[in-house]
Amino acid sequence: MKKVEAIIKPFKLDEVKAALTAIGVRGLTVSEVKGFGRQRGHKEVYRGAEYQVDFVSKVKIEVVMEASLVPEAIKVIQEKARTGQIGDGKVFVSPVEEVLRIRTGETGKEAI
Amino acid sequence: MSSAFEQLKGSRNRLIALLAASQEMDDVQARHTEMMDQYFRTSLEESRSGQRLFSEKVPFALVAVGGYGRKELAVHSDVDILILFGHRIPDLAKGLTEEILYPLWDLGLDLGYGTRSIKDCLRLSREDFEVLTSMLDARFLCGDSPLFLNLMAGIQGKVVSKKKEAFARWLEDLHQIRMERNGDASVILEPDLKEGVGGLRDYHHILWIAKAFFELMSPRDLETTGRLSHNEYLELHRHLSFIWLVRNHLHQLSNRKNDCLHFEYQEKAAPRLGYRDREDLLAVEQFMGDLHAAMASVKALNRAFIRAHLPRERGLWKRAECMEVGEGLHVHQGEIGFDSATTILKDPLLLMTLFVQSSRTGCPLSMEARRLVTEFLPLVDDALRRSPEAVGGFLQIVNGDRAFDVLNQMHEVGFLSAFIPEFGDIANRVQFDAYHTFPVGRHSLETLRRLKGTRGEKDIFLLDILLELPDSEPLLLAGLFHDIGKVGKDHAVRGVEIARGILERFQYPQRDVEEVLFLIRHHLLLVETATRRDLADEKSVVNCARLIGSPERLRMLYLLTWADSMATGPRAWSDWIANLVQELFFKVLHILDKGELATLDASEKVRRTMDEARRSPVLQGIGLNPEPFFEVMSPRYLLTAVPRDMVRHMEMLHRMRNLSAEEVRYPFCLETRENPGEGCAEVTFLAKDRPGLFADMAGVLALNSLNILSADIYTWRDGTAVDIFKVTRPLDAIHPEAVWQRVREDLKRTFEGKLSLPYRLGQKRSSPFLSTSDKPSRPPEVVIDNASSDFFTLIEVFADDRVGLLYLITKTLFDLRLDIRIAKIATKGDQIADVFYVRDFEGQKIEDEVHLREIEGALRYQLQ
Repeated sequence: MKKVEAIIKPFKLDEVKAALTAIGVRGLTVSEVKGFGRQRGHKEVYRGAEYQVDFVSKVKIEVVMEASLVPEAIKVIQEKARTGQIGDGKVFVSPVEEVLRIRTGETGKEAI
Repeated sequence: MSSAFEQLKGSRNRLIALLAASQEMDDVQARHTEMMDQYFRTSLEESRSGQRLFSEKVPFALVAVGGYGRKELAVHSDVDILILFGHRIPDLAKGLTEEILYPLWDLGLDLGYGTRSIKDCLRLSREDFEVLTSMLDARFLCGDSPLFLNLMAGIQGKVVSKKKEAFARWLEDLHQIRMERNGDASVILEPDLKEGVGGLRDYHHILWIAKAFFELMSPRDLETTGRLSHNEYLELHRHLSFIWLVRNHLHQLSNRKNDCLHFEYQEKAAPRLGYRDREDLLAVEQFMGDLHAAMASVKALNRAFIRAHLPRERGLWKRAECMEVGEGLHVHQGEIGFDSATTILKDPLLLMTLFVQSSRTGCPLSMEARRLVTEFLPLVDDALRRSPEAVGGFLQIVNGDRAFDVLNQMHEVGFLSAFIPEFGDIANRVQFDAYHTFPVGRHSLETLRRLKGTRGEKDIFLLDILLELPDSEPLLLAGLFHDIGKVGKDHAVRGVEIARGILERFQYPQRDVEEVLFLIRHHLLLVETATRRDLADEKSVVNCARLIGSPERLRMLYLLTWADSMATGPRAWSDWIANLVQELFFKVLHILDKGELATLDASEKVRRTMDEARRSPVLQGIGLNPEPFFEVMSPRYLLTAVPRDMVRHMEMLHRMRNLSAEEVRYPFCLETRENPGEGCAEVTFLAKDRPGLFADMAGVLALNSLNILSADIYTWRDGTAVDIFKVTRPLDAIHPEAVWQRVREDLKRTFEGKLSLPYRLGQKRSSPFLSTSDKPSRPPEVVIDNASSDFFTLIEVFADDRVGLLYLITKTLFDLRLDIRIAKIATKGDQIADVFYVRDFEGQKIEDEVHLREIEGALRYQLQ
């Protein structure tokens, strides 16, 4: 099992979500996050006052899935989230040791 | 187990089962209380310790206190009981509690009890007002009644009479604490039925004050002694009964004492209370609408009662004794009221005047005034709603410093809904989700409050925006009416029609009407665009700018967006959203401040150009649909191209696309035409854009001795480059076509890498036939501007003109990995003044200082 984490532009969320669902992803977690990478914050000047924007607003999607699904998931995320510009985001893949569904006590694959 | 216990257990279970089956259960608390009373009486009779106390002539009494004393026992409420003795507590008392009270724990009841002497009770009441309140609610159950009467007399004579002031202050502080801890239940989506403001505690406060200050005994006395009017009492009783019933269902559903009505229980409770889903409203939404209205009414009555009967409430409202408030009105003890009811009948406008004066003086309505307004609401007819005096008064209130407080009073007594019936339609509408905290009516008022309160905000950004707004009345009205269309889908669109009706009735100035309606129509635009569109994409920003049209409107829209979100709930406005909306704000502002793109004239012009192009016989002749082309054209192109050229470009692009990929590796299309009037030729060049394309083109033209006079380059969103050059006419005036053919050939070879432009141009420059003038040259000037555009870095170059200069500049930019998206080339005499809009190959502005200095240095070097 793997966890796929994707940081993407907020307006791309619906597309990415739909694409992931279409390839068989059954659940995901979304959070509103802020941070910076190459798309650093910037400064705005409005009527003489400066407004420093240090972090950029992004959406983070987390999905735990079977390892076999990962390549396709990464592919569709890239396809859908890409605009070709800085700030399109990143995808991280990491191993997951165990999953437990709290309600039923199922573990492993069934619990995903 | 005793028979009393078995009886209680059985009847309690039956009661809970009836409740679960949603039987008509208005009297559930009375029945529950009666069961408990019955239990205590019977079990005392059965108790051996009780018998011994009787026979030893030790007086004692069982006293119900707290909620049980008030006969408000919900199915899982605490049962608080006092075992009262005269002076000394005998050892037998322990046996009594064991026999009578312990069994109740086995039933799962939350039992609170105390075994106390009268003296203990009085001491505790003095020390802790919470004990005092439970004593005020005390009710005799069984035992020795003179003992109970002694206790009550002691509470009045020895505690209350000496502690009135302190007790009143304590109650008000308690109210404050509840407000902070539990919030205003009449507007919160998951209200606390008991402790929330507007909850049962508000009623208890009224009762405690009545008992402590006026020595009233039962709730009914509130009416019989004239503290409340008949209608007020009936209303209060009706609302309380509803809240009590809801509370009992909540207890039963959560199977424990629980007063916070969470979403899951709201859904379950609604059908039990007889609500059914309707087409326009869910059962649960109707239910919560009614509950909020009930709690709002309890809250309002509490506030009015406290103000009328307690020493002055501190804070909020100003003290004002002898203020001039106009004919028919007066101020008494800091509250405003009518001189008499008959004056209202003679002059219904007085109803509005009352609120205007309340706004002006800062005096709240007296309880009597609230009563009269409610009773005379039928006088608010269409004539009054249209009367310029009433409308003027209303606007004066909206513009005044106390707009929120006064409008809130108007809302509480029903006047706002009477004066603006459209507002009444949405006032109690609840959206059943975790996003909206308030029903629509209160949400609208909250929005107005935020708009009014911007000056107190710490966020300096908002302050800057507000300070620049000359007249915020349209903004305030938009804040009040922005959700007026929330009776169905597309509420922004619907709201415009409804608000138009209101404003027409107000005879509001036409220009301002448009302003208000615009704000209502687009109050979601900024948030929706910021969260759902690509802000790095010029088109979405330009579209937004086009809709908004002026920096002033943008500022108003930003404020409305902020206020609306803040008033919606904690999740609607976060740093995360603020970031996105502010980014959009600045981008739109820059376009509006700088460009002509977004003016209404511009969009009208674009529309006309497109219409004309659609009608072109050329396109119809070859059966070409222009719509997909319009989609990809850049905004600047749409604005500047004339219909005839636009058609030509589409046709050229169509032709280029039809070239087969095998025969032509680098498809392009080049057309020329003479421009006799200007003594120059125009070259139109289309190709799939790639970095360096412009440099190649400039180089090839220079190589063929075609001096570039000006150039406009456009990049469509599908990656098509459309470059239009004005060049000097070919030297070979007799066979110009031969020159153009050579240009095409050179381009093809350049693209294929078979022709080296630096080499050929170098060769050409060193040719002795080309005169190099000796006149003094100006040093070249390079200006880099990162502030003018959100999407591009602007590079301005001023220099003396010479062969291949444009090629050199553009080649340098290409070498520095810059993509030229827009170029404005101007040659005046022997001077060039060029502006290039560039981005890096990843489509970003150049922010890296080192990179920027490199660009500047490299250009200066090349231009020497």
